[in-house]
Order: sequence, then structure tokens, then C-alpha cells
Amino acid sequence: MLVSILRIIKFSFQDIFRNVWLSLVTVLILILTLFSVNLLLIVKVISSATVENIKQKIDISLYLKTDAKDAEIAALKNKVSAIEEVESVKYVSKEEALDKFREKHRNDAEIISSLQELENNPLTPSLMIHAKDINQYNNLINKLNKIDDPIIESRDFADHKEMLNKINSITTKVSDAGFLVSALFIFVTLLVIFNTVKVAIYTHRGEIAIMRLVGASNWFVKTPFLISSLIYTLFSTLVVIGVIYLFLGLLHPYMQTFFLGYDINILEYFNQNFLQIFGLQFLIAAAVNMLASLMAVSKYSHV
Amino acid sequence: MIKLEKVSKIYKPDIKALDQIDFHIEPGEFVSLVGQSGTGKTTLVKVLTGEEKVSKGKIIIGGWDVTNLSKREIPYLRRQIAVIFQDFKLLPKKSLLENVAFALQVCGQPKKRIMDIAPKVMKIVGLEHRMHRYPHEVSGGEKQRTAIARSLVYQPKILLADEPTGNLDSINAEEIVQLLKKINSFGTTVVLVTHNKDVVNKLGKRVITLHDGKVISDQKRGKYII
Repeated sequence: MLVSILRIIKFSFQDIFRNVWLSLVTVLILILTLFSVNLLLIVKVISSATVENIKQKIDISLYLKTDAKDAEIAALKNKVSAIEEVESVKYVSKEEALDKFREKHRNDAEIISSLQELENNPLTPSLMIHAKDINQYNNLINKLNKIDDPIIESRDFADHKEMLNKINSITTKVSDAGFLVSALFIFVTLLVIFNTVKVAIYTHRGEIAIMRLVGASNWFVKTPFLISSLIYTLFSTLVVIGVIYLFLGLLHPYMQTFFLGYDINILEYFNQNFLQIFGLQFLIAAAVNMLASLMAVSKYSHV
Repeated sequence: MIKLEKVSKIYKPDIKALDQIDFHIEPGEFVSLVGQSGTGKTTLVKVLTGEEKVSKGKIIIGGWDVTNLSKREIPYLRRQIAVIFQDFKLLPKKSLLENVAFALQVCGQPKKRIMDIAPKVMKIVGLEHRMHRYPHEVSGGEKQRTAIARSLVYQPKILLADEPTGNLDSINAEEIVQLLKKINSFGTTVVLVTHNKDVVNKLGKRVITLHDGKVISDQKRGKYII
């Protein structure tokens, strides 16, 4: 049995090297397919992380009067916290607000000098409200508008939902396009593998005829072609891992700069999910290729 | 050894390649199956080796009903019935010895056994001094002897020779027939399918004659009658 398995593997490598150019084209198509799938994944991961990060950063602020008493503020905070859609409420004193303002504009000399000219802190205290779910944003705003408390000076309900919808819409379009490209590549891969095996069988028709003549079993005749497609898949997956890591290595510094302050690390995501990402890709690609090989072998190996 | 009971093979729409063939070949016999081209000789070889299924009738080989063999069983039948052809079917990029060894390799035989058997069968067919040559370096007769050597590696009970002398001159043809007789003398049943009148007449063995897919004559010490 072991002898037969070793011989089958030997015959598989013979298949690959006798049609070396065809094998290279097959591997190239497989690499392109897997690369497109990984690009799709990268886009998906970045967009999901971006949306999630933006969601975390979206707050609604209720600005309070400067002379509001602690008890009044606490009462309002409790009232807001009780709203179903509210995840958390944080009180920001006018001093904290000033510190944050200074920090945000520390490189803007004009604003800093203007602040210094003012004797008093011009900012007001506020309640920063974080929503549980961005989709309930409108409900939350309606409920906040209904609260009529004398200590509320103004309300900042800028509609961040519109921006999120736009990001989601772009992400969906990119994903759909990526999905189509990947589906197209998978279809092309099926055709290419099918034809590669067909040509390999044609090249080996003399051997196959003799194998059948002298009583070689069907699995001995057919399996080398299936093993060849597995070797193509394994080789392509290894190359794609190299290419993707090279690509991510080049992309990483730009991503860090572009998404400064956001918690997005695509390289880390690939490192943490290495087996799931590439293992699954290998298994699916192997299954697709084996299917194509099996179809070709069943159709053409009756030499 | 080989028993055919009312075997017919009909190709669509209604071409009768074999029509109610009945004969029985005993173990160790040497039988010539003769007839003109298109009389069904090759079809008979194909149904005997499981390459084609019969339309009607029954084929029993060594007590084994091979009429409706599954694809999985065919390789086992092929190890019982060795076949040689007019065109030798050798691999050009392998030496004569490698061609013989290939038959053992693809059936999972260990290397040691291959190294033991292959040179022995090359010796039986008289090619021990040429076994490292390639098919293009030897004569037609030597190629056919290699094909015979390859067919012998599993010590088959039956050797089917489909026009083995078709591509050979008379001297080489005679050598091949002598070799077949030698193999027959070891106890292997030999079925020689041919339309070579001289070969059949010189043999003086049993002759089954086919015409239009039917057996028209079956003689114990026959001659080529058509």
C-alpha cells in the first residue's frame, strides 16, 4: 500500500513536470484567485473595523449651563441613563472640556493664544451620551429632545448616522465587486484545472492504456491526477501566504498613519487568524480543484 | 477455462459484431481464432478482457462469470488474462526492462520483487542481452517479445494474442509463434487471434473460424479455411 502511495505521488510529480508551462499557468490562476479572495477579506476587515471604531467615537452631547448645581446634573444624568437606547453617560466638567480642547488644538498657536487672552474658561460642562446601537440613533435623539430641563444650555445632535450609512454602502459595494471577482476567478480556476488534467491525461495516454491493460486498479490510474491538483493548491496557497504578508508589510505603515487613533491592525488580524484564513482557503481551493480533476478524470481517463 | 454461451454483441443501431457465439476452451489449449477483417475477432478480444460488455449471453473464465463485471473487478480479470497486440504498446521513453517492470510497478509490487521477476521474464523471451535497450533500438520481433514478457509477469492463466504477427516479417512472426508455443507448453492457455493463414496452418492446433460474427467452424487440428 505504502509503495503504491509513493508511486502515485511520483507519478503526480511526473504529471506536473511533463507539462511544466501548463502547471505554471494553473498555479498562477490559483494564486490570482486566492489573492483576490484575500484582498476581499482585507477590505472587509478594514471596513468593519473602521465602522466599529467610528461607532465607538460617536457621542451625543448635552451642553449644560455653567451654574448648574451638582444635584441637578446628577438628576439629569440619571434621567438620561434611564433611556433604553443609552449605553453610557459621562459628565465632562468645564475644566476637563478645556483640557481636551487644549490637547486637540495644541499645534494651533492662534487658538492657544486666544484662549490665554480670555480670562475665564469659555467652555461649558456637558453630558456625553453613547448610544447602544447606532441604528437606534433617531429614537434616542427624539427622546433627548423631549427632556426639558432648565440646566440644558444646548444640544449637539450632528447626524453621524448619515456618514456611517455612506461607509456601509461603500463597503457593501466594494465587497460585492470583490465577491464577483472572486466568483469569476473560482469559475476560471475550475475550467483551468479541468483542462490541465485533461491535457495531463492526454500526455499520459500511453501509460494509462498500459496501466489498464496490465490490470492497474482504477484508483492507481486516477489518483495521481487528483494528487497533482492538491500539489497545485498547496503550492499556490504557500505563495499567496508569502505575497499577502509582503503586501500587508507594505500596507501596514500607511494604515497606521491613515487610521491614527483607531484600533485597526490588519497584520495582527492575519497573525491571529492565520490558520482559519489560510487553512480554510486551502481546504476550499483543494475541494474545488479536486472536483474539477475528478470531473476531468472521470470523463477522459478511459483510454 | 474459457466458456462462451450464446454471446452476442450488438452495436447501436443494429450492427451485430458477435452473433450467438458458443465455444469452450480447455485449460492449456492453444487455439487460433481466425477470420477475415471485420468478422468480430477484435470485438471478441474486447469482451473477453472486459473492455466491452456483451449484449446477450454469458462468459465464464476459470469458473468466474465475467459477463457483467463492475469497473472495480476488471483489473483483477486483466491480471488473469494477459493480452498482446499488433502495435506492441510499449512506452518509448522506457527501456525494454523498464517497460516490463512498469506492469509490476503500477500494480503495487515491491521493488525487490520487480527486480527479481522482470529480468527472469526477459530471459524467458530471450531478451536478457537486450533488456537495457529502448524500443526504437530493437526490431519489431523484439518489441513483441518484450510485450509478451510484460504479459507474463503475473503468470496469467490465459494469453490472448491479438494479431501479434501483424507488423512482423515472416522470420520474426515465426519466432513469436514459437515463443507462444513455448509459453503454452508451460500450461498457459493461448488464444491466437489472427488472419495469417501460414501461421495457422503450420501450427496444426485447434482453429475456430469466425465469419460475420458467427462461429462457422471449430476444428481440433484445423486449417485456415477462408
